[in-house]
Amino acid sequence: MKTSRKASLITVALALTLTACAGNDNTPGAGKPTEPDAPGNATGAEQAFDNPELNIAVFQGGYGREYWDSVAEAFMAANPGTKINITASPKIAEMVRPKIVAGNPPDFMYISGSDNTPILDGLIKDQALLDLTDIFDGPASDGEGPLRDKILPGVLESRSSSPYGDGKIYLAPYNFGVMGLWYNKTLFDEQGIEPPRTWDAFFALNETAAAQDRALFTYQGLYPGYLEEMLVPAVYSVGGQEALDQLFNYDPAFWSSESFTQAWGILERIAQEDNALMKGTVALNHTQSQTSFLQGEAMFIPNGTWFEDEMKDAPREDGFQFGFLGVPAFGEDKDVMALSNVEQMVIPAKAKNPELAKAFLRFLYTEESVQLNAEKAKGVLAVVGAPDLVKEHISETTYNIYKAVDSGMATINGGFGPVAKGSKYNPSDEVYKPISSIMSKQLSLEEYSANLTKIYTDIRAELETAGAE
Amino acid sequence: MTLKQRRILFILACLLPGIALFVMFKVYPTVQIFHKSLYLWTGLSDEPRFIGLKNYADMFRDDVFLLALRNTGLLMLIVPVFTLLIALVNAAILAKSRLRERALYRTVFFFPSILSFVVIAILWSFIYHPTMGFLNSGLELLGLGEWALPWLGDQRTVLWALAVTLIWQAAGYYMVMYMAGIDSISPDLYEAADIDGATRIQQFFRITVPMLWEIIRVTLIFSINGVLSISFIIVSIMTGGGPNRHSEVVMTYLYTQAFTNANFGYAMAIGVFIFIVSMALALISNKLTDRGSY
Repeated sequence: MKTSRKASLITVALALTLTACAGNDNTPGAGKPTEPDAPGNATGAEQAFDNPELNIAVFQGGYGREYWDSVAEAFMAANPGTKINITASPKIAEMVRPKIVAGNPPDFMYISGSDNTPILDGLIKDQALLDLTDIFDGPASDGEGPLRDKILPGVLESRSSSPYGDGKIYLAPYNFGVMGLWYNKTLFDEQGIEPPRTWDAFFALNETAAAQDRALFTYQGLYPGYLEEMLVPAVYSVGGQEALDQLFNYDPAFWSSESFTQAWGILERIAQEDNALMKGTVALNHTQSQTSFLQGEAMFIPNGTWFEDEMKDAPREDGFQFGFLGVPAFGEDKDVMALSNVEQMVIPAKAKNPELAKAFLRFLYTEESVQLNAEKAKGVLAVVGAPDLVKEHISETTYNIYKAVDSGMATINGGFGPVAKGSKYNPSDEVYKPISSIMSKQLSLEEYSANLTKIYTDIRAELETAGAE
Repeated sequence: MTLKQRRILFILACLLPGIALFVMFKVYPTVQIFHKSLYLWTGLSDEPRFIGLKNYADMFRDDVFLLALRNTGLLMLIVPVFTLLIALVNAAILAKSRLRERALYRTVFFFPSILSFVVIAILWSFIYHPTMGFLNSGLELLGLGEWALPWLGDQRTVLWALAVTLIWQAAGYYMVMYMAGIDSISPDLYEAADIDGATRIQQFFRITVPMLWEIIRVTLIFSINGVLSISFIIVSIMTGGGPNRHSEVVMTYLYTQAFTNANFGYAMAIGVFIFIVSMALALISNKLTDRGSY
């Protein structure tokens, strides 16, 4: 879950001050190992594994660990003789890091949360992940047809699954989230405001916002990375996949393209128009700005499907109701879009038991598992039809968002390609952090684009040097 | 075996566990840091690649590092000076005046030192909150509304805002140290000065400061190093290095490179650099303040 950069920083600091307390949640085996010679049942194992023991490490965040406990149990029941040991922690990266360094990684990892995902970037740079393409080309555990067909379209082709852009899958998708702009549905309904479908309509609402005594827009000021939720779809809306590829594959020309000028132009306009940006936004952290939004100080804010749950205890204006807009388009003829984000699961290349890990991974996409995930984690696996399975476990708003995506609302999924090993650049920081200065009118788009052109040229050069070695 | 030899053997045997632990947990990791700073290493694979001093050379071409270094330098310059000045003046006033609330003030000023840094950082985030924060609301109340800035979101003010937090956090601690020092100065000196007609201010500069000089020297080094380590927590929580890296400090940058950018070798090089700089600063400040003993 991208339950956001939110608590992450605080936990970093907490972890440093309270290292001693870092709880080690290493529970051996969720269930008891099944008897090796359990009477074979109908669905039982057709396969015997040379090594029946599987060590998995999972992130324990907003989705909890119950799903993993129960799915492991189900897997062990279906494959008598196997035994799964689960290590679960909110700081899972910290726990597996020493094992990876020692060359003894877990067999399977589900890594999520902004504290933890950087470890995946490291593993990608090191080419230390197992190629999973054959699992998705192979048949699904239940039902017919290749497993690939069960996964939401576009996910396996995207960077989040296929980091090197060569079509090979190294990261398997788990839950997915949808991100875009949010508004107060009650306010829009009562005042008869139409949610804007284009950026022009969006800015036209500024007057309405002023009349309602609120700013047009706010965002998670200290963490401008949240703005990708509108910038990436905006880039797509102008320049299509081609422009996104330029952005994510470090083409310096992107920073002088029409896509850049228009997409980042939104930011500049927000920064400069009266009443467009909520006062003080740049200095607020995610909780502070999101609370201001709930209290009716701004009309729109970018965030993801976790929003309702994340803010469930926060104060809000009377009658507040979450409404999800998605991201407006440039021009009437284009549709509202959204950015999607998929959590990742991997098998390290040095896993001791890759065969069983693969079998386990395949099992995770079965109906039984999707159902369990809905029940225990209230999560929506990135498989077709998953939203309906969780319908009763999630709020109506969240369900509607997932349903919209499931039935064809365009979602953009993308991420920066890996940079050269040893590069000092962290692309998402380089691109998003300076936006703070754009928003406080201390950096012009010209300077910004000049800086990034230089950075992209550098990253390209580093990649070429690294490739030549 | 003579008695002397047996004694030496016994002492060695007693020292061994301590030395072993020290080597294992202090010396070995430190050596490892120096060693790993010479490698291109993600901090994950078991195959670091030797690249000599390239990490160090890169450091001085890395704009973000240089910015972080400048920010840290500024904090290390401002914070100790103001902290110690405020601490010293407060200590002198509290120790030498006959204020009835003396004990109360001492407790109140010392209070920040027993709060966790995380709590302090969150507290000050709300003091600086651009709309409902204590600072900006206060300014508006005084009719100075146009002076209200988004302190942590403006690249011109962010470092100063953080400096104030760091000073507030540390001043009370050093004040208590100075008060203890002042209490141990013989009252005769002050009495004699009084008789000779010296004013309180003269007494402060001619008696208090010289008599406390050794303590001041030590606290100066403490304070400089304190900035280095505390700034990490304060910055991580209050600004995340923003806006646009204008509050990035070397420790946060080191952390980012090591753990989010998988540049462990480079991060270690930064660590070594910080180590050398802080050693150098300690030596320099020690040398500069060396007046011989009074």
